[in-house]
Amino acid sequence: MDFLRSLSIAASGLKVQSGRMRIISENIANADSTANTAGGAPYQRKIPTFKSRFDDALGAQVVELGRIEKDKAPFETKYEPGHPAANAAGYVLTPNVNSLVEQMDLREAQRTYEANLGVITATRRMVARTLEILRA
Amino acid sequence: MLFGDLPLVGMLKQKMAWHEQRQGVLAQNVANADTPGYKTRDLENLSFPELAAKTGGASGVTMVATDPRHMGPGAPGAAMRDERRKPYEVTPQGNAVVLEDEVMRVSQNVQDYQMAADLYSRGLGMLKMAVGRRS
Repeated sequence: MDFLRSLSIAASGLKVQSGRMRIISENIANADSTANTAGGAPYQRKIPTFKSRFDDALGAQVVELGRIEKDKAPFETKYEPGHPAANAAGYVLTPNVNSLVEQMDLREAQRTYEANLGVITATRRMVARTLEILRA
Repeated sequence: MLFGDLPLVGMLKQKMAWHEQRQGVLAQNVANADTPGYKTRDLENLSFPELAAKTGGASGVTMVATDPRHMGPGAPGAAMRDERRKPYEVTPQGNAVVLEDEVMRVSQNVQDYQMAADLYSRGLGMLKMAVGRRS
């Protein structure tokens, strides 16, 4: 039976999506992380990348997490002279994390995760049906 | 004669193998649903006439060629071939997987597989009946 192959491919999808969720939650958790020193750089948003790799053992294209890139978008600024990270003009740099974007990304990751889970459930149903032939 | 050599059972076996392989291709599509530049794939449809001509052999129906210019059914090629599907929608990153489509295909695939498996056990039951065992 070659169903193990389908299951392994779907599992690679699950792994990638949960890795993506980890990075998204990192971004959300650090949405307010500023520097401690005056004029320092705050948390920089991370972006997960995906790449498709041909797995020789499986003979199929599995997916895996590529390099985790930093978002090059400029930081936000906030006027708060009393803040320890405020620069000479009284502005504090805040992370370039947009929580709305992160929420949408999270939803998307969740949906793809569920789709992969669906493939696993469907494949398991096929395996169960095959084993039923033995019992008949 | 082995059970697997019966034409009907042989065809069903091949159909089940095809669905099994297709499940792998569809799993690959779903797993790569967010990979930039990934294009969807599918298996070419299993052609029943071709399969019947191939598995029929001596007992099956074959066309009579009364003239040397008559052409027989095409040479049986590989029944399972990978095929690039025309993308329905491509994201700016070049990913052409439509998740809803793929999920639909997966459930269709499972149902077809179950049908073939049911027919297979029916065939098994018929054989049991023929040898005089009640099933």
